Amino acid sequence: MSRLQATWTVLVLALGVAVALSFFVGEGDLSNEALRSTLLRLRAWRLANTILAGAALAGAGVLVQGLFRNPLASPSILGTSAGATLGGVLVLVLWNALLAARLDWIPAELILPVGCLLGAWLSLTLLLAVTGRGASIVTVLLTGFILSSLFLSLGSLLMSLAQNTWEMGRAVVAFTLGGVDAKGPRHAALALPLVAVTSVVAMGWSRHLDLLLSGEEEAQSLGVDVDAARRWVIVWASTLTAAAVAIGGNVAFVGLVVPHALRPFTGPEHRALIPASLVGGAAFLTAADVLTRVLPTAGTIPLGVVTGLVGAPLFLILLARASREGRIA
Amino acid sequence: MKGGLQVRDLWASYRRGPDVVRGVDLDAARGSITALLGPNGSGKSTLLKALVGLVSSRGQVALDGEDLRTVTPEQRAQRVAYVPQRSLLSAPLLVHSVVAQGRFPHRRGLRGLGHEDQKIVDTALQDADIAHLACRPFTELSGGEQQRVLLARALATGADVLLLDEPTSAQDVRHALELHAILRRLRERGAAILVCLHDLSEVRAIADCAVLLECGTVHADGPADEIVHDRHITPVYGVELIEGGGLGFKLARGGES
Repeated sequence: MSRLQATWTVLVLALGVAVALSFFVGEGDLSNEALRSTLLRLRAWRLANTILAGAALAGAGVLVQGLFRNPLASPSILGTSAGATLGGVLVLVLWNALLAARLDWIPAELILPVGCLLGAWLSLTLLLAVTGRGASIVTVLLTGFILSSLFLSLGSLLMSLAQNTWEMGRAVVAFTLGGVDAKGPRHAALALPLVAVTSVVAMGWSRHLDLLLSGEEEAQSLGVDVDAARRWVIVWASTLTAAAVAIGGNVAFVGLVVPHALRPFTGPEHRALIPASLVGGAAFLTAADVLTRVLPTAGTIPLGVVTGLVGAPLFLILLARASREGRIA
Repeated sequence: MKGGLQVRDLWASYRRGPDVVRGVDLDAARGSITALLGPNGSGKSTLLKALVGLVSSRGQVALDGEDLRTVTPEQRAQRVAYVPQRSLLSAPLLVHSVVAQGRFPHRRGLRGLGHEDQKIVDTALQDADIAHLACRPFTELSGGEQQRVLLARALATGADVLLLDEPTSAQDVRHALELHAILRRLRERGAAILVCLHDLSEVRAIADCAVLLECGTVHADGPADEIVHDRHITPVYGVELIEGGGLGFKLARGGES
């Protein structure tokens, strides 16, 4: 069995175990026949959303790390997650006004995700407009950083305003800490096309990303339209991030840790790394969501807190190992 | 001229900076090796980069009479291959994968290497004498071996115009001589080779023609033996050639030998 085949076997097994646990772990008694089908249906939709969010975050992580030739880059570097979070917080702050506006064409539970998507795409539009054609990758990096700071500041301003109303403040905090509980079929239906189509299309850019690993000059000399490749990869990474924030809120570390952990096993070529990260991200976030249900606390721990608590130490271990093996200077 | 690369009145600069290459004319004929020489900062590397569109430039760049500045990046990469002095690749891609990247301008979609692509990659590995390194990670190779891999990747593009930026700078004497042999074989197959060289003895050893640059302009061009001569070298480099028994230099105007 090759190393890649072994990696895929482990990934599929990990996802399978996480999926099984996701169905059978949590509040509610499955032995109660009256509740069983309802509980399983709710958990199935929660699972579907978790898988989509995890795959999207890890997929965005691979794309961003390839784009910046840096295995330590995370999807938040483009400013999209901050934009999506700002969109979500804005929706929550304006919730009563939006309900009063009678937006009958959109189901109430999708107002928040749609706000996230609009925030993310606003951020993406600004990034592409500011950087323009021919901008260097450093300009993209700095612009993403500044947009991210701006949106986070605006989000913090809205959060401080939201504290005036206890319920609203609680909703905003819960959203920013991330979570997939109470996510249903409409959320999955909104995210599925975005994640599926973007992932498939992003795979088509894997050879471009491989060439970009050698730097923009070498890639261009081998026939890559570097400017176009960079802009499209930014669009795909941002769309995946937007979809993930729309259904899971602000979940940290998945996009950073999963591709970084898988790269030594799949190799750096994106044709192998992208699909492995999609599955790895889904398994990681599903396992983290199971953890939110079993940790002995009074209430449910937010998903973003668990991914941070698990992801940060795991990332430090990976980083130390990579540094020891000379893979990172 | 037997066809090949024709450059007329080429100007090049980095972004909006001053022109580094200023009005250069040169020809790189098929079946010949043309050396680009000049002191540090004379514009040799920038000129090569301008020919493959890596820096902004204006002027005429034609291959067999066709304007290369109007073709797509992929079409240009199929016809003109560029070998940088060193690669920025820091990911542990296998040598075979790096060489296979040379097939990028010929491939579409997600499919792997086709049978024909595979044959071309294998031939490129053999031509660059690195078939034995195919399964090694690129990042674990020496600088000289990495330069061979970059040459093989350029050969895998199928381009018959090769632009090489100081390909022997990281090679020991034996490997440099082996590289000379590879370049001669490529010349015999009809490739047009334009190569930046610092070592003037190498120019005499392998080049048919030479273009001597000074401050971005052509100081002299012609047969390599004629260009590597005090008449041209001394005013540009400030050194004098020491002929006989070997090739050496001494500083002009009273410098040490």
